[in-house]
Amino acid sequence: MENKVTIKIPRPLYEKIQVLVADSGFSSPTEFIVYILRDLVGEQMGGKTTAKEAGELTGDEIAAIKQRLRNLGYL
Amino acid sequence: MKKLVVIGLDCAEPSLVFEQFADLMPNISRLRAQGIWGPLRSTDPPITVPAWTAMMTSKDPGQLGFYGFRNRSDHGYKDLFFANNEYVKEKRVWAYLSRARLSTFALSVPQTYPPKPLRGAIAGCFLTPNKDVVWTYPPELAGQLDALADGDYIIDVKDFRTDNKDWLLEQIYKMTERRFKVFREFVRRGEHDFYMMVEMGIDRIHHAFWRFHDKKHRLFEPGNKYEFAIRDYYKYVDDRVGELLQVIDGETAVMVVSDHGAQTMHGAICVNEWLRQKGYLKLKQIPDQPSKMKMDNIDWSGTKAWGEGGYYSRIFFNVKGREPEGIIEPSEYATFRDQIQKDFEAIPDEKGVNIGTVVLRPEKIYREVKGVAPDLIVYFGDLNWRSAGTIGGGQIHIFENDTGPDDANHARHGIFVLSLPGGAKPTARPAYSIYDIAPTILRYFDLEVPADMIGKSII
Repeated sequence: MENKVTIKIPRPLYEKIQVLVADSGFSSPTEFIVYILRDLVGEQMGGKTTAKEAGELTGDEIAAIKQRLRNLGYL
Repeated sequence: MKKLVVIGLDCAEPSLVFEQFADLMPNISRLRAQGIWGPLRSTDPPITVPAWTAMMTSKDPGQLGFYGFRNRSDHGYKDLFFANNEYVKEKRVWAYLSRARLSTFALSVPQTYPPKPLRGAIAGCFLTPNKDVVWTYPPELAGQLDALADGDYIIDVKDFRTDNKDWLLEQIYKMTERRFKVFREFVRRGEHDFYMMVEMGIDRIHHAFWRFHDKKHRLFEPGNKYEFAIRDYYKYVDDRVGELLQVIDGETAVMVVSDHGAQTMHGAICVNEWLRQKGYLKLKQIPDQPSKMKMDNIDWSGTKAWGEGGYYSRIFFNVKGREPEGIIEPSEYATFRDQIQKDFEAIPDEKGVNIGTVVLRPEKIYREVKGVAPDLIVYFGDLNWRSAGTIGGGQIHIFENDTGPDDANHARHGIFVLSLPGGAKPTARPAYSIYDIAPTILRYFDLEVPADMIGKSII
C-alpha cells in the first residue's frame, strides 16, 4: 500500500505557506504542514496512537458508567 | 472584543429561581432585571442527554439520533450504546465559532467526553469514566484544572445513592465551589471569546433532597434537618455567580440556562411488570421479588413490547422481520400501537385514580428519526412518576426508587436569562425554546445562523 496520500488545500493558502516557510528551516510547504499536523494530532491524543484508543471505553469503564447512571436515576 | 459567558445549571427549576428563591438570589435576579428571562422549553424527553446537545446544536433528539443515555444500536435485543461524544455527529456552536476563529472554553458540558479538538479548550463531562483517561482538549488542561481546584477538579459526585446525606451535601458543595473557581479563573484570564460551564450540583441535590424541601411531597416533614438544603444551595450557587460576575467586564454578555426543571415525583411505575400483567411481555421465569429485568429471561415468542426504566420510559415493540424473534405482524403495528397507547393512558395510581400518562410518538415530535428510536415515549403521570425497569413481585407502583431514594423527576421547562452588555435589552418573548440558544449565541457573535438549525435567535 502506498504510504503517502495527496491532500488538496486552497492555492492561496498554499502560497501563503510558501512565503511563511521560505528561509525557515522547513524545506517545503508539505514538510511544514506535516510537522504542524503531527503536532496537533499528537497533542489531541495525549500519546495514544489512534483516535479509537483515546476514546474507547474498556469493559470496566462501561460497567462503571452504567452503575453511575443507574445510581443517578437516569436508567 | 465582545465575549459571552454561559452559566449552565443542570436541572435549575424556573419556579424556584424566578419565584420561590428569587429574593435569595440577588445576582441572577439582577441579570434578569437587566436583560430578558423566562422558562426555557426543553427537549422531549427533558433529560440531560440529549438536552444539552440539542441546546448546543439546535437539533432535536430525532435529528441527533439518540433518545437518552443508552440507545439501541440496532433492532437486536442486546446492543445498547452510551451516547457519549463519539455519537454526536451534528456541529455544536463551538464548531462554528472555531471556524470563525473565535475561541471557546467549555467546562463539563454534558456529552463532551471524549473531547474533540476545537479552537480553545474543553474539559469532559460526567460521562468521563475516570480521570486516568484523556478527558480534556488539550490534554494538559486536565492538570491545570486540578491545580486550580485545590488539587482535584470534581467532574461529578461519587456514590450518589448513599444514605449519608451530610457527606453527599458536602461533596456537592465541594464540586460546585471548585468548578466555579476554575471557571472564574479562566474567565478572568480572558483568553477566549465564548465561555461555557455546566454545573451538575442542582440536579444532584434535587434528586437527593427533594422530599425534605417540597411541602407537597408525601414524605415531607416540617422542621426536618434538610428542609432548607435545596434553598441554601441555590443561594450558594447564586453567590458563586456573583463572584463570577465580578471578573466579567462590561463588554461581555451573560446567559444562565438549564436543560430542564424539576418536580415532585410521586413514585415509580414498574413498566415491565405492568406489561407482563397486561400480557404484552412474557418471561421464561418470573422472579418472586422485584428484580432487574434480564433480556435473556424474556420469552420472545410471547412478547410484544418491553420498556426501559428512567425518568421516562421508552417502549420497544417486538416486530416480525425487524426484531430477531419479532411476533407483531407489520400490518398490525399501527393497531397494536393505538391499543397499547390507550392502555398506558389509562394507568391508575395505587388508589385507582388515572395518573394522566402522556404518550409520545417519535415521528410526530421530531423532524427526523435517526438511529433506532423507541416505538413510544411514555411520561408516566406526565412526569410525576418515573419508570422502573424492574419486574416480578406483582407490584406496579413502588414508592422507593428501584435504585434507592429519589423524590424528584424532571420537568419540561428549564431557565433562560440573558443580560447583554451596554444595557441593550432584546425584545422579550412569551416563550423560549432550548433550540433557540445556539442560534442566539451565533447571532451574538455576528455569525450567520445555519438554515438547518431548528431554533431562532432571541436577539
